[in-house]
Amino acid sequence: MVLKYIRLQGFIILGADMVSTVLNTDVNQKDADRAVVVAVTSRGVFESGAEGDEVYKVGTAFPLLQALQRVNERLLEENPGESLLFDVILVTTDLEQQQQSSRIISSTRHYGLEVSKFSFSGTEDFIESLLTNNVRLFLSTDRNEASQASQHGVLSALLDQNLASCPSEQLRVLFCGDTVIRSNISPMPVSQQATQSFSAQLGEMRQRFGMFDSPLSMVLMTARGGRESCSAALLTLRSQGVSVDEAYCLAGAPKGPILSLIRPHFLLSNGLSDLEE
Amino acid sequence: MMKMSLDPVQVMSGQVKELRVAPSSNGDSRGSWKEKEVFDQDNLGLSTKPKPPKPENAVTIAVSSRVMFRTEREQKVFEQKGVEEYLRYQIEHENEPFAPGPAFPFVKALETVNARLRELYPESEELFDIVLVTYNHAHVGIRLINTINHHNLFIERFCMTGGSSPIGYLKAWQTNLYLSADADKVREALAEGIAAATMFMPDKLTEVSESQLRVAFDGDAVLFSDESERIFKAHGLDKFFEHERENEDTLLEHGPLKGFLEALGKLQKKFYAKGQRLSCPIRTFLVTARSAASSGIRALKTLRAWGLEIDEALFLAGAPKGPMLEKIRPHIYFDDQMFHVEGAAEMGTVAAHVPYGIAQKHNAKQKPGVGK
Repeated sequence: MVLKYIRLQGFIILGADMVSTVLNTDVNQKDADRAVVVAVTSRGVFESGAEGDEVYKVGTAFPLLQALQRVNERLLEENPGESLLFDVILVTTDLEQQQQSSRIISSTRHYGLEVSKFSFSGTEDFIESLLTNNVRLFLSTDRNEASQASQHGVLSALLDQNLASCPSEQLRVLFCGDTVIRSNISPMPVSQQATQSFSAQLGEMRQRFGMFDSPLSMVLMTARGGRESCSAALLTLRSQGVSVDEAYCLAGAPKGPILSLIRPHFLLSNGLSDLEE
Repeated sequence: MMKMSLDPVQVMSGQVKELRVAPSSNGDSRGSWKEKEVFDQDNLGLSTKPKPPKPENAVTIAVSSRVMFRTEREQKVFEQKGVEEYLRYQIEHENEPFAPGPAFPFVKALETVNARLRELYPESEELFDIVLVTYNHAHVGIRLINTINHHNLFIERFCMTGGSSPIGYLKAWQTNLYLSADADKVREALAEGIAAATMFMPDKLTEVSESQLRVAFDGDAVLFSDESERIFKAHGLDKFFEHERENEDTLLEHGPLKGFLEALGKLQKKFYAKGQRLSCPIRTFLVTARSAASSGIRALKTLRAWGLEIDEALFLAGAPKGPMLEKIRPHIYFDDQMFHVEGAAEMGTVAAHVPYGIAQKHNAKQKPGVGK
C-alpha cells in the first residue's frame, strides 16, 4: 500500500493496523488546549462513488461538517483571535477505509472542508487515536463503533440517516431532557463527565452570539416526561453552562414528527444516543 | 337540539360562578407568588397526574403564551428594548407567574370537561389536550412552567420554537384549534387547513361558567364558507336574500371552524350516551346575522345535513351581537369580522377573529346593523 503525497506534510508510518496521522496544511491547526475536537468517521462524510473516481461523493455527515465550519467562521468574525473553535478530524475505523487514505484526503481538499487532521487506523486501534487526539465528540454511522468509543469514555453519537437533509447554515444540537441528570449524583460516570464538559463548551460558544441569527442552536426535547421534567432539564442545563434556545416537551407524544421538524445534527444524552426508537 | 330564538332572553344551564381574574386592565402581568417557591423536583414523574392522551385520539388545542397569559409588560420590553433585554427581563422575573390571559377561562373550562369525561370514561383518550405553542425562546420556559404550576393548569406539552414558525409543529401535534395573538401566524395556520383564530384581551371580562364550556360561532365564513357573504358584499342585501332562498336546499360549503364544532359534537355525544344530556358540560351556540325565517333556513339545513348539532341557534337578522353574547356568556366567540369581535369585547365577551374570507378585504369598521 502506498500513500500518495498530495502537497501534504506530516509523519506517515506505513503499515496495516497502525495509527497514522496526517496534518492538513491547507487548514490552520487549532489551539490544542482550547479547541473542541470533533472526530467524524470518513464513512460518514463520504460515500464511495464509481471505482475510478478520485473524489468521493458527499455522505450523510456533510451538512454537519459544513455547519461546524460555519460556527467557526462566525466565531472568528466576532473575535479574530478566538481559540474556542471546533477542530474537526476525520478518522478511519477499519482497514478498508485506511487503504483509501489518499482519496479521503483529496476529497476533503476538493470540497474545501475544514479538516485539520486525518487519522488513519484500523478496527483495533481507532479508539487509541480518539484518545490521543483528545476527541471530545466522536460521530459515526456505525452503532458498534460509537458504542465502543463510548465505553472508553469518549462521548459518541450516531449519525442519523436523516442528517443529509439537515441545514448546513446552523448547527443544531439536541439534548434529550429525559436523561439530563443532575451533577449531585456521585460518582459521576466518565461518559456523563464527557457529556457535561462538551455541553459546557457548546454553551460557551453559544454565548458568543445573540438570540437571532446564531450559527448554533441548543434544543431540548423531553420525550416521556412532562413539564416538571422539562423544567428540571432546563435548570440543570443552565447550571452546566447551557442556555437552551428551543424546548419541546412531548409527554409521551410520538417523537418522529417533532424530530423531523427539529432536524438536529446530533443528540446528546448520557448514554449512547438513539434518534430512532 | 336546535332552538330557534328571536327572543334575546336566554336559558342558561349550569351554575354561573364568579371566575376571579387578576384585577387589572392596565396590562400588569404580575401575579402573586403565594405557594412553594420552587416547583417540586422530587415529584418528577406523572404518577399522581393523569397521563396526557395520544394526539390522534385527543382534541388538541394549541394556545400561544400571549393569549394564555398576560404578557403586555414583557411585550413592551421586547418592542422598546429588543430581544436580549426582553429575555433578561423574563429570567429576572422567572419566579413571578403571569396573570391569566383571554384564553385562560376557555382552557380552564376545557379541563372541567376533561374531568367529567374521565369520570365517565376512565380509559378513554378522547379528551382535550392543551399544548402551549409559542415562538418564544426557551429562556422564557421556566417562567411559563412556573406560571402553569401556579395556576394549577394541566398542560404537559409545549413547543418553544425560539423564533421559528410554529406552524409545522401545529401539524405534527394534529392540532384541532390554534389560538394566538399574532394574526399572521393565525392566517398561516388557516392556510394549512388548521382551525385558528386571533384572540384579544377585552377591557373587562364578564363572568363565565366554571362548570360548562360554552363556545359560540358566527355562521358565514366561520362554520360555513364565505360564499354567501360574497354575494352580499357584491350585490347587497336583497340579492343575498334572493340567492339564499333559491339555494335553500343546496348545502353551504364548510368553513374553517366546522371541524372544531364537529369535534365538540363528538364529545357531547359521549355525555348523551351516559344519559347526561341536560347536564352536559359542553354547550354550543350559533350567533348569526341571518334571519330565522329566511336565510337562516339554509344554515340550519346545512348543519343538519352535516350531522352537526348546535345547542342554540340565534338569528339576529342584522341586530348587534354584543348584547346577545353578553347574555350567552361564552368562553369564546368566533367571528370573521373585526367589527363584531370588537363589539363583543366591548361588552366583556372574549371574542376571537377568524381572518378568513371576503370580509378581510373590507374595512374592519362598518356601520352598525349592516354586515353579517
